Amino acid sequence: MPIKVLAIATGPRRHGNSETLLDWVLASMGEEPGVEIEKFSLEEIRVNPCRGCNACEVLNKCVQRDDMDMLHDKIVAADCIVFATPIYCMGICSQGKALVDRAQVFRSRKYVLKIPVVPPERKGKRLGVFIAAAGQKMDYVFDGAIMSVKCFFHVTEVKDKDIEYLLVRGVDAAGEVETHPTAKEEARATGKRAVARLREMLGASAGII
Amino acid sequence: MTVRVLGISGSPHRHGNTETLLDAFLEGAGEAGATTERVVLKELSYSPCQGCNACHRKDGCIVQDDLTPLFDRIASADCLALASPIYTMGITAELKGLIDRGQYLWARKYIAKTLYYSRDHIRRHKGVFISTAGQSWDHVFDGAFPTLTAFFDITGFEYWDNIIANNMDRYGSIRGHPTATQEAREKGEKVVGAIGKLKGVESTPRK
Repeated sequence: MPIKVLAIATGPRRHGNSETLLDWVLASMGEEPGVEIEKFSLEEIRVNPCRGCNACEVLNKCVQRDDMDMLHDKIVAADCIVFATPIYCMGICSQGKALVDRAQVFRSRKYVLKIPVVPPERKGKRLGVFIAAAGQKMDYVFDGAIMSVKCFFHVTEVKDKDIEYLLVRGVDAAGEVETHPTAKEEARATGKRAVARLREMLGASAGII
Repeated sequence: MTVRVLGISGSPHRHGNTETLLDAFLEGAGEAGATTERVVLKELSYSPCQGCNACHRKDGCIVQDDLTPLFDRIASADCLALASPIYTMGITAELKGLIDRGQYLWARKYIAKTLYYSRDHIRRHKGVFISTAGQSWDHVFDGAFPTLTAFFDITGFEYWDNIIANNMDRYGSIRGHPTATQEAREKGEKVVGAIGKLKGVESTPRK
């Protein structure tokens, strides 16, 4: 069984700074044997905002039919979920926030209906990676986004200690991350660390046939 | 020259807890003699910020939609009340969509430096954040505050106050909350009084 990685670029700017960081992380993970990567950009698929109807608390599914149906299944199947966003106005971009809010169906499943999100044998064996790029340099610029993304990971059955972070400040203009002194190196290290941790969780030979 | 209060609801849930609080706030403001207007983002058609940074090079946003005239209305309001429930420790994608589109104002203020609000202007323009959250945690609004601070900064409003109520899951609905609706109404009155004083408008005493 390969290690399944699901990556989602949520920023509206294709191949912008956060997506570039994501690509570096994925390239580094992909060099390892037995890692299967699937990547989506929210610019290419359609994920509407949550309607706040709370129907998922009863139905165990969302009433909206869009590409979240497909992402939902992939989120459940993945061993590793990588979420990338630019920071806009001190938070996740609106497009990414829509995806995070649509994870409400997992919250309803887990906490209201008390139905497992993943089978018991996969609990504690899921890794999250949060990648963000911010134009600003304040040390608290990622705080709001981290609060939201932690909820996303918790309801999708990724434990707090199993979230890796790659946060890069002070990159705003298109391509600016390319000139950042350490970002590429950090991204590659994040990818390697993620695969190592996944192998630790899933068994040392995970993905290697 | 009455006090103009603009309330914007970013909730996808019509007439829910947050919108009810906003309505109470606007009612209080109306009773104090203000002209009030309510905009429900769910009823508008607009796209989120495209992140193209065109506004960093050229003045204004290249996206023209229902938010374009709304930004003009924001600019002409004396009090701006932004309302959103907390979803996943933050404001809704709808309100975040509006706020992110304010990037062109940020670019005017911090890059082109063609936009400047005097201290007096900021004092006369008051921003209020109205929110409800299902969770009981005290820190449930913490992710939202910096985003609101940033938006009030680029639109020239002093971040005057919050009207927030957590633990909605326990109260069932805002109608079951002991103080929130009354607080919203009172703050609506109070903010109009405060702005009226600064503008030299006599506020209508409550009947």
